[in-house]
Amino acid sequence: MSSTALKILRSGYVRGNTVFHRLDGRTKFLFFLWISIFNYVFYDLYFSLASLAIVLTLALLSRIGKIVLSVISIVAGPILILGIIILGGPVGFPPNRTPLIATIVFGHQIGLFLEGTVYVSIWSTRLAVTITAALLAYLTTHPSDLAAIMLKSRLPYKFAYAFLATVQLIPILTNEISTIYQAQVSRGLNLQANLIQRLKSIVVLMIPLTLGAITQTQTRAIALESRGFSAPVKKVMLSDPKFKPGDYLTFFAMIVFTAYFVFLIYTRGLVPFMQGIEYLRPGG
Amino acid sequence: MTSERKKIQPTVITKPSGFAILQVVLIPVIAALNYVTGVIINLLKLPLFMDTWATMFGTVVAGLWVGIAGGFLYNIVMAFTFWGLPAWVWGFINVFIAVITWVFWRGGWITVKKPIKLVLAGITIGVLNVIPVTLINVFVFGALPTYAGTSWIYAIILNQTGSTISAVIGSSIAAEIPDKLLSLILAAVVASRMPARYSLRPATK
Repeated sequence: MSSTALKILRSGYVRGNTVFHRLDGRTKFLFFLWISIFNYVFYDLYFSLASLAIVLTLALLSRIGKIVLSVISIVAGPILILGIIILGGPVGFPPNRTPLIATIVFGHQIGLFLEGTVYVSIWSTRLAVTITAALLAYLTTHPSDLAAIMLKSRLPYKFAYAFLATVQLIPILTNEISTIYQAQVSRGLNLQANLIQRLKSIVVLMIPLTLGAITQTQTRAIALESRGFSAPVKKVMLSDPKFKPGDYLTFFAMIVFTAYFVFLIYTRGLVPFMQGIEYLRPGG
Repeated sequence: MTSERKKIQPTVITKPSGFAILQVVLIPVIAALNYVTGVIINLLKLPLFMDTWATMFGTVVAGLWVGIAGGFLYNIVMAFTFWGLPAWVWGFINVFIAVITWVFWRGGWITVKKPIKLVLAGITIGVLNVIPVTLINVFVFGALPTYAGTSWIYAIILNQTGSTISAVIGSSIAAEIPDKLLSLILAAVVASRMPARYSLRPATK
């Protein structure tokens, strides 16, 4: 997990001039919120799968498909597999009634049930949709645009700094930890030791890393102050993001689909397309 | 003319110079340390998360707001870059942990000089943390088994009780107590090794 997350943080922005790249960051963020919220409102596997197909197509068109698929397989994949084995199987998920695949082994029925399998599939697909939508927004927005968008959205300047600094600091600290780790291994750190010994190893790795990072905060603070970080003046950004026709078109499409989704909720409820499946509250 | 004269007050320095900027710079460090711990845990192949220890550490060395902001920011960054939208709500766990850590720190419990109190504080944080973890697991992740390490506990409890919520609570207790206890011990140990000149708050009693 960590290596994929680090790869994303290191690469940060994936260059390109695709349709999604050209959208304003605020539009992408709004799309991310919009599609995530509706995926959590509807309890419908067809709806979730259609949403996933749309965001995955956008990710492929924006040339971030490979990263997105690897993240989905790491984050949502295990939840789907574990969930189907436990909740879809005969462990005891109360709503399970309709067997999908079933066989009798030593007098016990084993197999998969429709209700549990659909429940787990919907929740895992929701997760996959939100992951893809988040990555679409993040990986196609240049960091300088990201800062400008945060300021334009009236977020505090210090928050924008903290967010971007965290994204930059993670790869730096990860490089440092690999240096510290190699130094400690050369001093006899044993990775094959028992659990207690390995727990103690965290301390010898974290102390030099933390003290080094804290020492650097002094330098970073001086550097920021020398550029007038705390100066009580209006901050000027390198770029000034503005909405373009593509953004207005996206807003229009979102409004039209929102109206359609509201209509669906009123006419067909929260399970608009699946036949014979009842709405299950979180937790079943 | 009025004879009222303003009383001249002596200048009182309550915070060292550059205090605010140091706190702001420390926030991303706390968030990044939370992340890097995950890398170390992977390297050492330990069955833990430990991604809240820096929140506790930040609260101890720089105050409640630094801990809250650093912890919350870690989850925001991860939600944007890896975990997807629902994961931002885990930020509230970091806020919750920062607040409890601050309460225990104010009471003088978070210090390596008092190991029994430190261990009790760690266990208490772990137990209390089960409440928000369960709420988030149920409402954001549908009470699914999200962690392979405790999924067998989840399966056993579900089989015995027929309740996914009880299964989430049981598996959370098994994961949270050792995780938060060890995180707090690590935070206290690292804070005790930190030179006093880097601390942004006075030492505990």
